Amino acid sequence: MKPLTGFNLVRPRTLQGALTLMATLEKTQPIAGGTDLIPLYREVQCEKTNLIDLSLINELNGITESLNCIVIGSTTTHTQILSNNLVAKHVSALHDSCSVLGSVQIRNRGTIGGNICNASPAADTAPPLLVHNAEVNISNQNNNRWIPLEELFKGPKLTVLQPDELLLKIKIPIDSDSASAFKRLGRRKGFTLSIVNAAAFVKREEGLIQNIRLSIGSVAPTPLRIKKVEEEFLGIEMSKRVLDEIGQACSDQVKPIDDIRGTAEYRRDMSNILIKRALNEAWRRTGGIIE
Amino acid sequence: MIFELNGKNVSFEAIPSLTLLDLLRNEFGLTSVKKGCDQGECGACTVLLDGMPVNSCLILSPQVEGKRVTTIDGLSENPLMIELRDAFMENGAVQCGFCTPGMLLSSYSLLRDNRNPTEEEVKMAIEGNICRCTGYVKIIEAVLDAAVRIGPD
Amino acid sequence: MKINLKTFVLPFQYNVDKSLEYYKILEKLLNRNEYFVVGKNLIRSDALDKCLGKANFTADYLSKESLIVKVFRSCKSHAIIKNIETSRAMNIPGIEAIITARDIPGINQIGYALPDQPLLNDTKVHYIGDPIALICAQNEEAAQKAEESILIEYEELKSVFDISAALNPDSPLIHTDGNVAVTTKIRKGNIEKGFKNSNVIIEDTYWSPYQEHMCLETDGAYAFPDGTNKITVICESQSPHLVREKVAAILGWKLNQVRIIQALTGGAFGKKDDTGPILAAYAALSAKTLGKPSACIYDRIEMFKTTPKRFPAKFIYKSGADKNGNLTAIQVYITLECGAYANRAPFWLWRQTAHAAGPYEVDNVAVDGRAVYTNNVYGGSFRGFGNLALHFAVEQQIDKLAYELCMDPLDFRLKNVLKVGSRTTCDQILDHSVGIEKCLKSIEDASKWKEKRVPIKNGNTLKGWGIGCAYHGNSTSRSTPDWSAASLLMNIDGSFIYRTGICELGQGSPFGHVKIVAEILGANIESIKIEIPDTDSTPDSKPTHGSRGLMMGGTAAADAAIQLREKIIKIAAEMLDCSLKLVECKESYAYNKENLNKKIPFNEIAEELHIRGLNPGAYGFYASPKRNYDEETGLGINYSVYTFASTIAEVEVDTETGEISVLKIWPSMDVGKAIDPIIIEGQIHGALSQGIGFTLMENVQLHNGNILNPSFKDYIVPSAFDTPEVDDPILIEEAYKHSAFGVKGVGEPSIISIVPAIVNAIYHATGIRFNTLPITAERMHKALKEVKK
Repeated sequence: MKPLTGFNLVRPRTLQGALTLMATLEKTQPIAGGTDLIPLYREVQCEKTNLIDLSLINELNGITESLNCIVIGSTTTHTQILSNNLVAKHVSALHDSCSVLGSVQIRNRGTIGGNICNASPAADTAPPLLVHNAEVNISNQNNNRWIPLEELFKGPKLTVLQPDELLLKIKIPIDSDSASAFKRLGRRKGFTLSIVNAAAFVKREEGLIQNIRLSIGSVAPTPLRIKKVEEEFLGIEMSKRVLDEIGQACSDQVKPIDDIRGTAEYRRDMSNILIKRALNEAWRRTGGIIE
Repeated sequence: MIFELNGKNVSFEAIPSLTLLDLLRNEFGLTSVKKGCDQGECGACTVLLDGMPVNSCLILSPQVEGKRVTTIDGLSENPLMIELRDAFMENGAVQCGFCTPGMLLSSYSLLRDNRNPTEEEVKMAIEGNICRCTGYVKIIEAVLDAAVRIGPD
Repeated sequence: MKINLKTFVLPFQYNVDKSLEYYKILEKLLNRNEYFVVGKNLIRSDALDKCLGKANFTADYLSKESLIVKVFRSCKSHAIIKNIETSRAMNIPGIEAIITARDIPGINQIGYALPDQPLLNDTKVHYIGDPIALICAQNEEAAQKAEESILIEYEELKSVFDISAALNPDSPLIHTDGNVAVTTKIRKGNIEKGFKNSNVIIEDTYWSPYQEHMCLETDGAYAFPDGTNKITVICESQSPHLVREKVAAILGWKLNQVRIIQALTGGAFGKKDDTGPILAAYAALSAKTLGKPSACIYDRIEMFKTTPKRFPAKFIYKSGADKNGNLTAIQVYITLECGAYANRAPFWLWRQTAHAAGPYEVDNVAVDGRAVYTNNVYGGSFRGFGNLALHFAVEQQIDKLAYELCMDPLDFRLKNVLKVGSRTTCDQILDHSVGIEKCLKSIEDASKWKEKRVPIKNGNTLKGWGIGCAYHGNSTSRSTPDWSAASLLMNIDGSFIYRTGICELGQGSPFGHVKIVAEILGANIESIKIEIPDTDSTPDSKPTHGSRGLMMGGTAAADAAIQLREKIIKIAAEMLDCSLKLVECKESYAYNKENLNKKIPFNEIAEELHIRGLNPGAYGFYASPKRNYDEETGLGINYSVYTFASTIAEVEVDTETGEISVLKIWPSMDVGKAIDPIIIEGQIHGALSQGIGFTLMENVQLHNGNILNPSFKDYIVPSAFDTPEVDDPILIEEAYKHSAFGVKGVGEPSIISIVPAIVNAIYHATGIRFNTLPITAERMHKALKEVKK
């Protein structure tokens, strides 16, 4: 392991201050909980990086409701999300994912912004946010823009964020007639990285699938939305057979690779199983039963 | 730079590359905080930051400015910790002792907020604390036993 | 029977009279209806400090001025070293020295069984991570820069990464004498005849892979000069006296110039047996060369990548039984992978060879073993020491025979297990202390085994039950002399200091010794302090391994206690004015059994002891009864005694994901005598957890000699959520007649029996057999998929 050296830490107290630092300093890297970055810097020595610590900026932390949306500040920890009633009620897939992500210690420090911006294909909060059509607010000193979360991810550990930009908040539309769920598979039962994870969002009208959104993680360079399958099954009557078809169709859409956590073949097969389990759970949460 | 360490304000020279773990061990001599992996994976370095369990190896020391840091040393007279400690000792939950301070802090945090945890909640509270000696069985029993000892309030 | 104290000395000598049953003699000596502390659950004496964070491990002793000793290692798996260039690194500010092989004043050799392992390599490297130089630096940054600045000129050689490649006649030689480090053999009965009389024969091949110990504390040693011609090293190990021997040889010094202090150890499981001497030598070399305190502390990744793992092994088994369900013959070929160095391979391989029939009586046995070098990380001590891998194979063979014969696997085992009078794999007649039958019957009842013979399908889950048995010879094997020692000192205030070289590694063995001492002396347990092992004052108790810590070390403790008791009683009798046999001691008081009013506290007795010029100390010594071994056939009295265990596991398989959950375990063990049941339970629980890890998730992923997952992040060990329900362990007490109170070792058997229990339960649930480990969810899923096809 490498000694932790070679970086500078700056701790702005205001967002404006942070954005100014991002614009003016060389080689900046935002940090909040540090749960991904510090282990990384122990493996790959960081050269002359300016770490911009966002944890003192109040306006980046917390969960609010506004205009029928839930807005989560980027430095909101997984523990904060887990204990939030709005999230539990309206974004249950995200609640699910925050309850299994990392350990208590990691959840107490790790932030949702960090989990997303780290852009791991296996990030546990990504599939839930994707199926809830989350948007992210990105800003530099001069411009502020909203983009769909889906457009943030460019590849493993890569986002569209420019060197002077920060991710400020995440907006999740409230859709009260819907339900969602998250499932994942790890190499042990507690505190582990996901081999595959999946989230499903669904709206039910009697037995019909009125709306459906599906997402699977760790099966492609970025967390995936499986829109082709969503479109295919819109308006279809839900049944055990349809659930199986959806699972199968999803596993045809993923492009996993082999790595030390699992093979592509296993990930493909598990995409099928996990998306079915997530969808089944979401459907159950709408009050529906799949027969 | 000032922070509260085990109930006392302390000051230190802010060095970004120094983790809270190394700060506590090397500068304050608190060797109860153990280094098992330095990667946030084993939980041996668990401390309470503003009352919540965190891996001190993942925190850069300047990040604790103005915050409250508690190690096992700061809770030796705490009534809840005394019950928990007794339960650990009497239930055979201590073997090599390397995970013990972190394990106690995670369990303490659980019982402080939840006087009547289920077995599942105990497991959740300590899933970030790896123990290689006990197989967790007696640790889980000890936490549940401590909950009984302290009662509902 | 009149007790003559002199007779107690006898069992500790070689050539003991086998009719003497030491544990019974102790019983008679103490003549108690109920023991004071033996067999009771007490709070172990180290628990409070550990809970308070006041227990000191190696890294907790470091001074701020201490130099950092960083090991420069090979990046090649097999290469000749042409040149080592350190001058650039030497010029880096903060670098005090770079030590290479030529700077070693003594012998550059650290091999355990064979002299094949230099402490620092200067001619050849044998695996990725082989040590070449020690960087002694003032800080981590300088050490890091120096590591990047040392230049090695290599001539690369072809590498060998598996045993079959190593055995190929064209294979490059990893060490000069060939790639087979050692061989073993057993020939018992007539194997051809045995198979001729078999109605069913099962043949199969098994592979048991590497396992990393994942002790929570990383390896470390801290050395500092003690004047000009002595070095003190604070470190973790499993035998401070072995560390001293190795360090002295490397420094070219006498034993009394090296002082080893054993710090508390954050888990060992065999690992520290091997790493202890190496790190101590690194730190000591720096401290001697520079005259400054020096610390070598591995980080998690270095520890994972470079230190010994559980030896992998391949077993080719052929087992036969007749139609009545009697085992008739077994033939076994064992190929052990040493990795880069032999290390403990000769002993590991022999243990597998000697236990090859499992805890069953088989008349016709042929075993051939060989240990083979490769260019992978080398193997070493690990809980179960060969027997875990062996039983993974043999217990599946037994299960397969039972199913083939349409017999209940438990009944089949009961029919064949070793009993009093049975002969082991090595033809050793077991004349007592054979509790496997009782173990089996007890968990058969506890688990309601007979009601669980049909697997249960429920939705996408399958549930099944399996059983595994184990036996494990305690301590050393063959005719190797085996002894242990302890010392006990009564202070003038009536308190005691107890010294043993048996190390506290988490297992609590020294506390067990103290209970034995307290029981014999009638002293308050709190009045006896365990001194941490220090080679300047602690007797050599021989290593803390092989499940011998309490069996051997505790019996040496008893010897010391009996000697001191004799003196205490003598003085007490005079002070109480009564006969010797009327004196009883309890809670650090001596009193007359017939006149309870008068009692004398131990501090008064201690004072009297000193005043009269009687030696207030005692040196306890215990040697195993003599054993024998025939080199030609491998037969003989191998181990003094065996611990037996059997375990039943209930597993559930998710047929969609392949995830396997161990839901419940019923463990049992024949422990001889349970000195402290709660500590034994702790040993069993911990072993079960490590066994579950080995069976289901722990996977050292190697590619061309590189370890791909060297951390807790990707080498998965059980978390709290992976803990099954464990039924109260059933402890059978078939006393061993030559140990204190009949105690046998308990550290290892549980990890041996859980592995086959799970594997056999998976078969019961799914009908699928696995011949390699770990059975990850992915492998299970793949196997289920293939069955569907």
